[in-house]
Amino acid sequence: MDYDRLVNTVADVGYLLIANGAEISRAEESMRRIFAAYGAERSEVFAIPTFLSISVSTPAGRPVTALRRILSRRVDMTRVDLANSLCRRVCRTTPDFSAVSRELRRISARRPFPFPVQVAGFAVVAFGFTLFYGGSYADAAVALLCGAVAKLVCRLLERLRTNLFFVNVAASFVAAAIALSFAQFFAQLSYDKIIIGALMNLVPGIAITDFMRDIIAGDLIAGLLRLAESVLVAGAIAIGAGIALTAVRMLWGV
Amino acid sequence: MPCVWAFFACAGFCIVYNIRGRMLVVSSLGGSAGWLVYLLLAPLGDDVVQFFLATVATAVNSEILARVFKKPATEFQIVALLPMVPGGGIFYTMEYCVLGNNEMFIRTGLHTLGIAGALAMGILLVSSLFRLGSISAARKNGAR
Repeated sequence: MDYDRLVNTVADVGYLLIANGAEISRAEESMRRIFAAYGAERSEVFAIPTFLSISVSTPAGRPVTALRRILSRRVDMTRVDLANSLCRRVCRTTPDFSAVSRELRRISARRPFPFPVQVAGFAVVAFGFTLFYGGSYADAAVALLCGAVAKLVCRLLERLRTNLFFVNVAASFVAAAIALSFAQFFAQLSYDKIIIGALMNLVPGIAITDFMRDIIAGDLIAGLLRLAESVLVAGAIAIGAGIALTAVRMLWGV
Repeated sequence: MPCVWAFFACAGFCIVYNIRGRMLVVSSLGGSAGWLVYLLLAPLGDDVVQFFLATVATAVNSEILARVFKKPATEFQIVALLPMVPGGGIFYTMEYCVLGNNEMFIRTGLHTLGIAGALAMGILLVSSLFRLGSISAARKNGAR
């Protein structure tokens, strides 16, 4: 068997899973199972959210290793789902590697929702959460705008390749500033509900649930990384909204 | 009524996380159901406990759905837990901090941390239990 291609294919599978927001334990187990399915008995797999390394020993005892640096991650559950079922299929039928890579390319070529739909998604989240936290319909309408603008800001800053922390500070600042300005002119709006609704978009719910799952599964480093990430993002959101609150109060003299 | 808004909010997140079609509806309903559990437990009078139990219910629901639809449990869980994430708590904590109201800042901050902890414990409990279940099932298959 071609161990070089085996290792490369498995690394691609792992990369696809982690880069699209799968848990580390899922990615590691998938890779381990594929190795086992192809009869590579002595395999080592290690992954954290930003990096993965795998190694197999050939029957002759020569180690074959692949490393992948995972620079950008996003959450795309459709891809995780497809990659996951691909893994199951591969483990059952052990097809040849070119078929697997073809399938992997097909999965990575699947686009997320088009950008305008994503903006609408953000707006709906803000709308829903504003009402959820007890805001009025007028509040929700403003939140709709805040959510959409927050997404635009995120997109713009991601294009400019700024870091995660700054993206969140900026998006949260802009959303809060819009909400406060509206509240300034229309006294019946409750700005806190609008801001909370809009900021729920940025709240790292995913990281909170994922880091617990990682830690339970014994991936302590991965869990701590995600915990650090969620604390960082939560801090960034608070700082952004905090700047807006202080600045707007000074500006409008409240 | 909050459950309906929770559904909308979750559906929006499904778009952000690229969950499509039937799964969008199913995951979002999970979010509403979780919040319904939270509201029904209101007589308990302690909202951290309410959050904990609602998280447990949501997580169990997600694991079951994962087995029914043969999809990763995360897909249901990340969306369904969102209504429980203390976004309001984070905001009010920050607002008290900015206003210089230290007493309320500490109180709200600790309460928010408590809720986050309750969510984490809920997930920890359910996913450990389901792991136990799947490991013993795997052993049985191996022995056969």
